[in-house]
This record gives sequence, C-alpha cells and structure tokens, in this order.
Amino acid sequence: MDETFEIEAAALAQVLDELDYFQILKIGQGASPSEIKSAYYRESRAYHPDRFYQLKNAELKESIGRIYKRINEAYVCLRDDVKRAKYLGDISGPERQRKLRFVEASEQELKKDKEQEIGTTPQGRKFFMAGLQDMAAQRFAAAERNFKMALTYEPNNPNYKSKRDEAGKLIKNDMTIR
Amino acid sequence: MADGEIAIGIDLGTSYSCVSIIENGQPVVIPNEWGERTHASVVSFLEDGTVLVGNSAKRNIITNADNTVYSAKRLIGRFFFSDEVKKAQAVMPYKIIEGENNSVRIQIRENVYSLPEISALVLKEMKSIVENYLGHEVKKAVVTVPAYFNDNQRQATKDAGRIAGLEVLRILNEPTAAALAYGFGKDITQKIAVYDLGGGTFDISILEIGKDVFEVLSTAGDTYLGGDDFDDRIMTWLAEDFLKRHGIDLRLNKYCLQMLKEASERAKIDVGRDAVAKIKVEGICQDPTGKVMDLEATLTEAEFNRMVMDLVQRTFKVCDEALQSARMTASDLDAIILVGGPTRLPIIRTSVKHYFQKEPMAGIDPDEVVAMGAAIQAGSLMESKSDHYLLDVTPLTLRVGTVGGYTDKIIDKNTPIPIERSKSYTTNRDGQDKVKIRIYQGESNKASECELLGEFEFSGFRIAYRGEVRIEVTFEIDTNGIVHVTAADVETGQKTTTTIRLSSGLTEEMIRAAQAKTAATQLARGAAA
Repeated sequence: MDETFEIEAAALAQVLDELDYFQILKIGQGASPSEIKSAYYRESRAYHPDRFYQLKNAELKESIGRIYKRINEAYVCLRDDVKRAKYLGDISGPERQRKLRFVEASEQELKKDKEQEIGTTPQGRKFFMAGLQDMAAQRFAAAERNFKMALTYEPNNPNYKSKRDEAGKLIKNDMTIR
Repeated sequence: MADGEIAIGIDLGTSYSCVSIIENGQPVVIPNEWGERTHASVVSFLEDGTVLVGNSAKRNIITNADNTVYSAKRLIGRFFFSDEVKKAQAVMPYKIIEGENNSVRIQIRENVYSLPEISALVLKEMKSIVENYLGHEVKKAVVTVPAYFNDNQRQATKDAGRIAGLEVLRILNEPTAAALAYGFGKDITQKIAVYDLGGGTFDISILEIGKDVFEVLSTAGDTYLGGDDFDDRIMTWLAEDFLKRHGIDLRLNKYCLQMLKEASERAKIDVGRDAVAKIKVEGICQDPTGKVMDLEATLTEAEFNRMVMDLVQRTFKVCDEALQSARMTASDLDAIILVGGPTRLPIIRTSVKHYFQKEPMAGIDPDEVVAMGAAIQAGSLMESKSDHYLLDVTPLTLRVGTVGGYTDKIIDKNTPIPIERSKSYTTNRDGQDKVKIRIYQGESNKASECELLGEFEFSGFRIAYRGEVRIEVTFEIDTNGIVHVTAADVETGQKTTTTIRLSSGLTEEMIRAAQAKTAATQLARGAAA
C-alpha cells in the first residue's frame, strides 16, 4: 500500500465527523443516482476493508473500517430519494453540524411528533380541532377562543400558541378591512 | 499469498458439505480419498470413541440412530424454547436437551455436545480432506451460511470454525458466494438472482455484478424451508397410505421413521431424474402377529408435483419480497442462478423459468458452486490486494426493545455492511448504575415476533441524578453480518463495561474447552462401506 493513501486515510478518519454524506462520497449535492452509485463503487474500491484484511497496522485498519462504515451510511441515505431530500434539508439548515449523520425518526418519535402537533390531552385536542375548523371557515374570533381553551389544557403546546397568535392577527386584519 | 499459506472455502450445508481451494488461480472442489465431492453433514459417534463424519456416517442414521446427528444446521444458534427445536425433538432419533441459558445441547451416551461442537466435527472433516490432499496443515477458512441466518446463527457457525481449529476469515452468505463463483474472472455487467434452495433453508439474493464489484441489492429467505420439507411430504404420503392399508402408523417408531425418511429422500431424487419412483423398503416393520412387512409404492411426477406445489409457491413469495426491496421486476434480471440439490428437480426448474420468464443458467453445479465461491473469497482475503469487492447486506432489521414489549428499528434490512448506528439513552432513576437493553432481529415491531439476540448490560459510568447521564450505545454489524454492541458515557467519552446477560452463544471458556475436546477427537478414516 502506498504512503500517500495511508496519509489520506488517516487524515480522512480525523475529519470524518465534520463531513456530510456528499463530501464523504466526494460528489456534488446535485449528483444523479448513477453518479451516486459510481461514487460508491469508487470509494468501495479504495476503502473496502477486505482489501486491508492482512494489514498489520491496527490503527490504520481501524480508521479504514470507520471510513468505510460511513461510506455505506452515506450511500444508504443518498440512494433513497425521500431520505436524500430530508437530509439535504437537514444539512442546509442552522443545525447542520448536529445533523451530518442522518437519523430517521423512530416510529415512536414520529408518533410523539404527531401528538405534539395536535395535542396530548383529549380536551386539548377537541378544542384545537374545533379551532382549526373555525379557521378554515374564517371565523377567526371563534377560532381564537377555541385555541385559548385548548391552551388551558396544554399551556406549553407550541403549536396551540402559534395558532392562537395567528388567529389573533387575522381578527385584527379582519377589523381593519371592515 | 503469504508463505504459501492457504485458506479453504467450506460450504457447511444442512444435508451436505463441500470444500474447495484455489489452484492455479481457479477454484477446485477437493474430493475425499474415495472420490466423493460432497459429504453428508452427518456425525456418527462410534462405540470406541471415534467419530465418523460424511457419507459413511449417513449410513449409520438407521443402524446407530441414537448416536448419529444430522441436520444440526437446523438447530445451530437457536434457543431451546424455539419452535424449530420442538419440531426437531419430535422427529430426530438423537437426544436434544436443554443447556444453560436456554441453549440447545445434544446428548450422545454420557457426553453432552453443543451445536457448534457438532458442526465443528463436520468442519474438521472438511479441513482434513484438504490436508490429506495437500499433505500439510491448513488453518484458515471462509465458511458459508444462508444469507437469511441471523446473528445468533452466524456467531454459532463462527464458533464452530474456531472449535474445529480454524481461523474463520469470513462468514460468507451462500448466494453471494455462488454469485462470486459465477462472475469470477468473467468481466460481465449483469443483474442476477441467486435462487438457493438447500436441504433446510431457502435464500434469494438479487445482485448487480460489475467488472470488479459484486453488490447485493437485496436478500430474503426462509430458514424453515428446504429439500427436507419435500421429503417430509413424501413421507407423510407413504405413511398415510401404509396406515390406511395395514392400520400401522410407521411414524410412531423412530426406527421405522428413519427408514421411511431415507426412502422418501431416495424417491424424491428418483422422481426428479426418471419422472417416476419405485419405492420398496423390505422389512420396515412387523405387524402385531410378528409378520415382517414391506413398504411398496410408486410415486409419479404428477403426484409429487401436487404434493410440493405449495412449498414451491412459498419460495416465490420470498422472491417477490426480494425483488421489491431491490426495486426491480423479474424482467430486469439478466441471469438466474440455481443453487442447492433440490434445484435439480424439474418442478423447481420449470417453476423458476416460469416465474422469472428466463431459462436458469446452465453449466453451474448447484452442489459445488457455493464452496467454490467461498474458496475465491478465502483466496482474495489472503492476498494483500483484492481485485474484486463484495458489497453485501444485512438480511434482517436490527431492533432494540422498548417499553411494553415493543421494539424500535436501529438498522434496516438490506443495509450494506459493515455499518453502525448509535442511539443515546438517559438514566431514569437517581443513582442508577446500570443500563440494560435487549436487541432483536426481525420485521415486526413486536418483540415477541422477533428473534432475541441478547440482553446487554452497561455499567461503569458516572453515578448521578436521573436524566443527567447520557449513554451512547453503538450498534455495529460487521462484514460477517455479526452484531456488536458497545456503549460510552456521552459527556466523558468513557467506554462502559458491557456484559452480555442473555445469549444462546458459547462463552470464551466453553469455546476453549470445546477446542481441546475436538482436537482430541479422532475422526475415523476408512470407508464404512
């Protein structure tokens, strides 16, 4: 194995946690599926652990293993259109550093998110849903009342608060027009 | 290759095993001293303490039934309480007992063996076939397993290799090995399906082969479906017929059952080759008056096909699943490769042709191709640089137990390996000093419908108020498809101590004891025939 590769692998292993999946596979964010696949094959040729099976340098072997696992991780995410779109959003946002490694929301987290959205108490949910219907029918004052009622059951629900504020603003607009 | 040292490729099958090495750059199957190229995966413990393995041992299934173990692969890596073990207890003439930690053990006279120890004896025989041929010792091997084997089964197979005195370079998936043997040195670009129907298991893998890349796109399987099930159908048919005619149920006597089983396997092979099988077993039992009775029947191809049609259909359900995971249809495939003895049956060949709308590849020996692929991989791992890459996947979704008997996905099935994924946990009691998790493999979010891999306990982190300590648990699936779990304290980065609390596997201590025991076991040479 040549020395340049050794240096390159060691350096890559060092910065692995700072790179996004596009950087890991050395492709642009607009890469096509076939470009992703050939990049994956190219990186597999370079870093597949089988090539280094007989390598004596345990530290380097460990680094290569770490790199290759990340290459697989990148490929799994980017070859899937849905995951790729979400990932691209994640790493383009303010939380990029925290989201460099794609994590699918678990089944339970998804359920939790859904609950947070519409509420965790039956009464809260009831008033919140009624409020949403009022909003759709442009009965903003009624909507605001319902959202306020929902908030008495779940005072910390951010979704309830933002809907209440939204309804409040729309009432004012409504009055200025009249 | 380093110092002329070689590594062998072993196909450790449910019914038959095969061994291959690379000679002059090509994989060749090594026959034993009697010219046999495949060897029954049967271990017969003789009175004098020696052990017979292979086709000569198979002849002892009837005469030395209590002390002859076959189809051990159906039991390896399973918990004692599993259905497969219960089923085996009902039909196997040898004694299956419970060992510690819900494990399975086999009792032969006053000795107790673990399943890896039994498989180790088969591996030891494969090792000595090559050693006889080469005239020197071999120490390294690639051993194949069904692609759909879970972590427990893979780990147990690896342990078997170690017990046999082999360094297992890789646990390789059987269909992947077959694809490697097919594409090796061919310089082709194809999408292929490997349809692997063995003695006890069925696997289908969809691969994309490039110039130097073998990428597994998906794999699916059924570890409860194989040629043995075809034999069972014939057996039931013969036994029911005999019962109707003579009022005697042959299945109630383990001795008669074995004769029936043997006759059924022969009938399956005959009907596949000649379209009709004449079955005759002389002296299968005695009637209540002591008169010796014979079993006689004729099995036609049409009759046989009717008996097994649902089993054949089941394989295609699995094929549907694999194609769907690979986001393909049958028409996208360039070639179909058949692996495993039962794929010689005309019913399989025509059904496969019909399903894939393509003639399966000719010129591939379904009994030998897996061992040859294993030899190619063994050879390439021994060289400092390999000229092809196997990109394989994990067959089952890795899960972690949550509250109320549910599980959460950690790593999806058909994810390329090696791979890792971390998940963090916080303590939920003040002063908590241990975190316990259970991990599973399977496709259901209910823990009871998945296979339990083990319970891990992490300790040695900071003791603090609840919620203050975060433990990051890392789940890794290595290139063998074997799962590793480690944990670290997020804040300090300190690795925790991991204890495996529940596992079907063997401890290091047990493996070392088994190594010594197996090394001391004499394999009887000399044909029993």
